[in-house]
Amino acid sequence: MPPKSILKKTPAATSTQGQAAVAANAPPPARAVNQRHLSTAVHHARIYEQRKQAETAILDAVFELMDFPTSPDADPTRPSPSDAHRFRQAIVPFQPSDYDGLIEERNIADKCGYTLCPRPKGKAPSAAKKHFVETSKGVQIVDRKKLEMWCSDDCARRALFVKVQLNEEPAWLRQGDFGTEIELMVDNTEDHHKALPLRLKKAAAPAPKDTEEEDAAAAWAARDDALADLAIERGETPGRLSKVNKDLITDKIKERVARFQPTPPSLPPGQSHMAIEGHVPKSAREAERKDSDDEDDEQDWDKALPG
Amino acid sequence: MADSGDHKARQEMLDLWRVYRTTKEMCRDRGYNVLPEECNISFDDFARKFGTESGQIARGQMNFSTIPSEDMVRKYTPPATPKVPHPEPAIGTLWVEFNADENIGMKNLREFITHLQNGSYYSGIMIVVKPLSGMAMRGIRGAQQLSGGSGPKGGIEVFLEQDLKINITKHELVPTHLLLSTEEKAQLLKRYRLKETQLPRIQVTDPVAKYYGLRRGQVVKIIRKSETAGRYASYRWAI
Repeated sequence: MPPKSILKKTPAATSTQGQAAVAANAPPPARAVNQRHLSTAVHHARIYEQRKQAETAILDAVFELMDFPTSPDADPTRPSPSDAHRFRQAIVPFQPSDYDGLIEERNIADKCGYTLCPRPKGKAPSAAKKHFVETSKGVQIVDRKKLEMWCSDDCARRALFVKVQLNEEPAWLRQGDFGTEIELMVDNTEDHHKALPLRLKKAAAPAPKDTEEEDAAAAWAARDDALADLAIERGETPGRLSKVNKDLITDKIKERVARFQPTPPSLPPGQSHMAIEGHVPKSAREAERKDSDDEDDEQDWDKALPG
Repeated sequence: MADSGDHKARQEMLDLWRVYRTTKEMCRDRGYNVLPEECNISFDDFARKFGTESGQIARGQMNFSTIPSEDMVRKYTPPATPKVPHPEPAIGTLWVEFNADENIGMKNLREFITHLQNGSYYSGIMIVVKPLSGMAMRGIRGAQQLSGGSGPKGGIEVFLEQDLKINITKHELVPTHLLLSTEEKAQLLKRYRLKETQLPRIQVTDPVAKYYGLRRGQVVKIIRKSETAGRYASYRWAI
């Protein structure tokens, strides 16, 4: 005899057993799709998809940049325009941590950490894990890994010059196109700007050598940018004088010229300084009398005044 | 000095012998075809087979490939549907590699993937001495998409040698885990009138889940000893 089911039997179960058993055991019927829930789910799925794509792009970029530069006798100070262009393009979605990962990968492949340098990585004086290094701040203990990261200090500087420009925000959270221009520290600047089609001529001007001059130029550029932004915000066409300005501010300045010597304010004669609209309260009157008994300062002062 | 060197080499040989046995057992427990002799290889045999004359170990020779047993293929084949009358099993030949490198990065990973592609292996296991670099770890997570979606279908798993020195499933506190096939899972959900989201869960990063190579969405049956009931079965959904 088969074991008896303890499940509740629906009326239909007695008549058509096979089908009813399925119905009793079936999972609860699916509810009708709520359009709002569906759109929320799709929205979040899109976000995940975007994130996955961004991460894959970074991984692919690391794979590609590991083997850079393309020619074995490239010069890190004067990289070929195509290499530099590809590097600048591929590095845009990187976070600083991704860039560290790239450096680590290059080091594992026994290459200098700077992407445009074809030389092998540096060699520490010995195989010890930690090394003493003389620096300007005194002797420091440094990991061997860190010592062997770069082939030279110059490459380190060039690589870190790129790192500080990277956006800390993950690529899939970034909005707009801000900070998509990564500058490289190169000696043949002119070649690179020629190789880039979408650069403005103004920005292609070689950077002034004097730091003070550079700062000033940067400040002026920032001011111009800000003014342009402001103009757009006001609904003006950039590069044209606006009508709004005239109505808002007039540029006629009236100077106030003094025609006579200023005089200090004085009390009318016979008026107490304690008076409130001509009335002197009783308490004040008594106090005044006492004061005038003690010293006649007030009157002296009155006399001393010219008029 | 020579003595300590010998001792070190012998210790390494001993460790690797254990790792090798655990790896074979792991493949057997997953359902691949592994001979019992391979799981129970004695230390002397192991040293003879994979050691060099100087007593060093040749990790390159320890690599092996194995094919899934019929049972395993059946378990991993999704049920036939009207649209797909002859579904492909989601399992295939496995390649196991012992890597001796200290630093493993994207370069080694790329070589490994190329090897898997050339040998048309379904999935790969890499057994390494030191943890992989962060980027390589991320590369493994997206291994199927790598190199234009032509990566190994079954993905790549990475184990540290020291994690495989001991077979954790032989520990008395680790209950039996049994992987359910798609049909068994459907039956279970029907019997208990559940949705799969209503099951208790197990992470795919759980040591035992890693040992069995559980994939997201699979259900594992866990059979424990119970004082009152003798045996107690529970089910967990890999997540």
